[in-house]
Amino acid sequence: MKHFTRLAAAALAVTVAATSAPAQETEELFVPNLAYRTGPFAATGIPLMNGQRDYAQMLNARDGGVGGVMLNFEECETGYNTQKGVECYEKTKGEAIVTQPWSTGITLQVLPKTNVDKIPVLAPGYGFSPMADGKVFQWAFNVPGSYWDAASMILKYISGGDLGSLNGKTIAFLHLDHPYGKEPLPFMEAMEKEHGFKLEPIPVGLKEMQNQSAQWLQIRRLRPDYVVMWGWGAMNAGAITEAVKTKFPMDKFVGVWWSSHDADLRIVGEKGKGYKAISFSRPVLDAPVLSDLEDYVYSKGDSLASEEERQGVFYNRGLVISMILTEAIATAQKHFDKAVIGPEDLRWGLENLNITDERLEELGMSGMVAPFSTSCGDHTGHSGGWILEWDGEKFVQASDHLTPDSEVIRPMEIAGAKAYAEENAPWPVNESCDAQAG
Amino acid sequence: MFYRTAGQFKTTYRDDQALFPIRQDAVLVAVILILAWAVFPFIATEFAFQTLLIPILIYSLAALGLNVLTGYAGQLSLGTAAFMGVGAYACYKMLTIMPWLDPIVAILLSGFFSAGVGVMFGIPSLRIKGFYLAIATLAAQFFLVWLFEKWAWLYNYNASGAIQAPNITSVFSGGTYVSGPLATSFTQYYMVLGITTLLTILTINLTRGTLGRTWKATRDMDFAAELIGINLMRSKLSAFAVSSYIVGVAGALFVFMWRGAAEPNLFDIPLSFTILFIAIIGGLGSILGNYLGAILIVGLPVVLNTVPAALGLPLESAFVEHLNLMIVGGLIIFFLIVEPHGLARLWGLARQKLIVWPFPY
Repeated sequence: MKHFTRLAAAALAVTVAATSAPAQETEELFVPNLAYRTGPFAATGIPLMNGQRDYAQMLNARDGGVGGVMLNFEECETGYNTQKGVECYEKTKGEAIVTQPWSTGITLQVLPKTNVDKIPVLAPGYGFSPMADGKVFQWAFNVPGSYWDAASMILKYISGGDLGSLNGKTIAFLHLDHPYGKEPLPFMEAMEKEHGFKLEPIPVGLKEMQNQSAQWLQIRRLRPDYVVMWGWGAMNAGAITEAVKTKFPMDKFVGVWWSSHDADLRIVGEKGKGYKAISFSRPVLDAPVLSDLEDYVYSKGDSLASEEERQGVFYNRGLVISMILTEAIATAQKHFDKAVIGPEDLRWGLENLNITDERLEELGMSGMVAPFSTSCGDHTGHSGGWILEWDGEKFVQASDHLTPDSEVIRPMEIAGAKAYAEENAPWPVNESCDAQAG
Repeated sequence: MFYRTAGQFKTTYRDDQALFPIRQDAVLVAVILILAWAVFPFIATEFAFQTLLIPILIYSLAALGLNVLTGYAGQLSLGTAAFMGVGAYACYKMLTIMPWLDPIVAILLSGFFSAGVGVMFGIPSLRIKGFYLAIATLAAQFFLVWLFEKWAWLYNYNASGAIQAPNITSVFSGGTYVSGPLATSFTQYYMVLGITTLLTILTINLTRGTLGRTWKATRDMDFAAELIGINLMRSKLSAFAVSSYIVGVAGALFVFMWRGAAEPNLFDIPLSFTILFIAIIGGLGSILGNYLGAILIVGLPVVLNTVPAALGLPLESAFVEHLNLMIVGGLIIFFLIVEPHGLARLWGLARQKLIVWPFPY
């Protein structure tokens, strides 16, 4: 009888939870975030989540939400665990107008379901690069840049703008051995063939993240001209400390935007000087938005972030990400002329984003992200970014605004999207779009 | 009261050896089966399907497979997740090479691949025992996950190294989609339930028969078993084969009927441990225990997570997660102290008390 009652209790609790959820149906926009503040990747997750959360709180306190409707910015803890992420997705999708999966693994799981559930996936700067093809991936958005964009900009930067000059050079590609780390490989390999440099992929297993002595021994033997890193969580700090230990020249070491966490570099401090990372966002510490945050969030003690954290690249990127989301909400509200929008309205909003310099100025976020716009066929926006350099204490901008080679990337994105759609047939395609135009 | 056995006379040996010699047991099982087959699927929400019903069944099945090996035949294994992976990748390859194959048939066939691999890694069990064998199976765990990462043919040279369940229809569901994003949870639940029920009935009968007795003899004292004429090689390897078959099928279900996609590190050691814990907390050497263990380890955290929201407590999600870990961890320790032989034994004791109630002796 015991296990029967337990089963019944479980069923009861679930039905209670399910029936009590719609009770809170007031005028608000439910924008859940599949956050991770626990688990092995928490250190890198927390500043991003805090930035996102603080921006939403600031809007609620300052403007009463977006378009007069409060944002219900709720976190669902995943611990970067795919299973928990799917649980969160199932739990939130009924009421939510967007899903922010915050992990390539969760994005992978959720992506095929969004066509059926009709809910937009917002994966800023991560997920599949072919998601840029809005014709195929109608519900997915990886604004303002994809991993292929990042790889392209890094190659552009290290070659000084002319990829041909890389001919004969060796680039070691140190990456997490995981869908995330493998994502830029097709693009890098295509570039290797075209421009005649030598690409040496060096995978770092999830279990070896903290101890990369074998990988760095290989790097020492290869004597590459550059090391390009696609790392996350504990892998970044592991690689940076190992690079310092093996005395690898830091100015030849470039990471993706998820490898630009201040705390990872602070461990090595001065010795990390010269380390670079591409980034679609940059902290602008005198931006007007920060004084609003001070007035409406920090001074009230509503922020979970520390003073130091708020200066960092990741926290400021969190602000930018929430801004992209709320701008999409505002765009949709204006177009459909209603304050309470649904997921399908938000999809339109995300597809018709136009973040201009003037708009950033109005938002008080000038310079924190480069202007970009999305369209039906282009779900990425390809804003480009900057190279940030560690000066021993903080990340500073080290290059002019860089843009990815869209002429090269676009056909690859379309081909990748097509292959995905074929593998997952029958897959609905938005015929009204012209993907080539993106 | 509930379990009064008075008046239930056994007049033949056949009756006495029946699967459920006590009528109330049969009634209870019937009630559970009716709930699982005819009540839950019609009242469950999408959330309940995806986070409770389907995963509990799949984890139970995987634990059942491990229990055959560890609980019945006494061979400790730490490689369960890798064998699940073999099942999942075998199923993926079969379905992509032979798209005309029915997915349910493919899932049932994929078990044979993991059975083969299981037997191969079971060979050391003929010479080594206990913790040493655990290390040998640990080698299987590391080797196979490494293979899933490095052998690009296994995931059809996909750039991200992950496999995805394609949209496929099956005759068993009347031509509707059973795997991939277009499949409904309702259909998938019935497919999982069907396979789990089938394999559970099969295992119950196997463990009651000659093979099961051979396994138990091997577990209790292997050289004594050998002295009474049991072929240890056959006994151990058959346990590895049957166990890996069930685990492999569970792995294929895991990816195709539930997750929809998988990357190699999904089948890494934490999954092996989860399944081992389900088997240990549920009760080694019991069939029922796997289900109880899965409800405790897989189902309870999900239910606990919804409690604060249901009560209207404004708690941070990360805080709830930490609380959850503490509560579930505490419960595991509590159950192991109260009854080290697992939940199934706890239920057995309760049942025994109910049978003699109100005159305990």
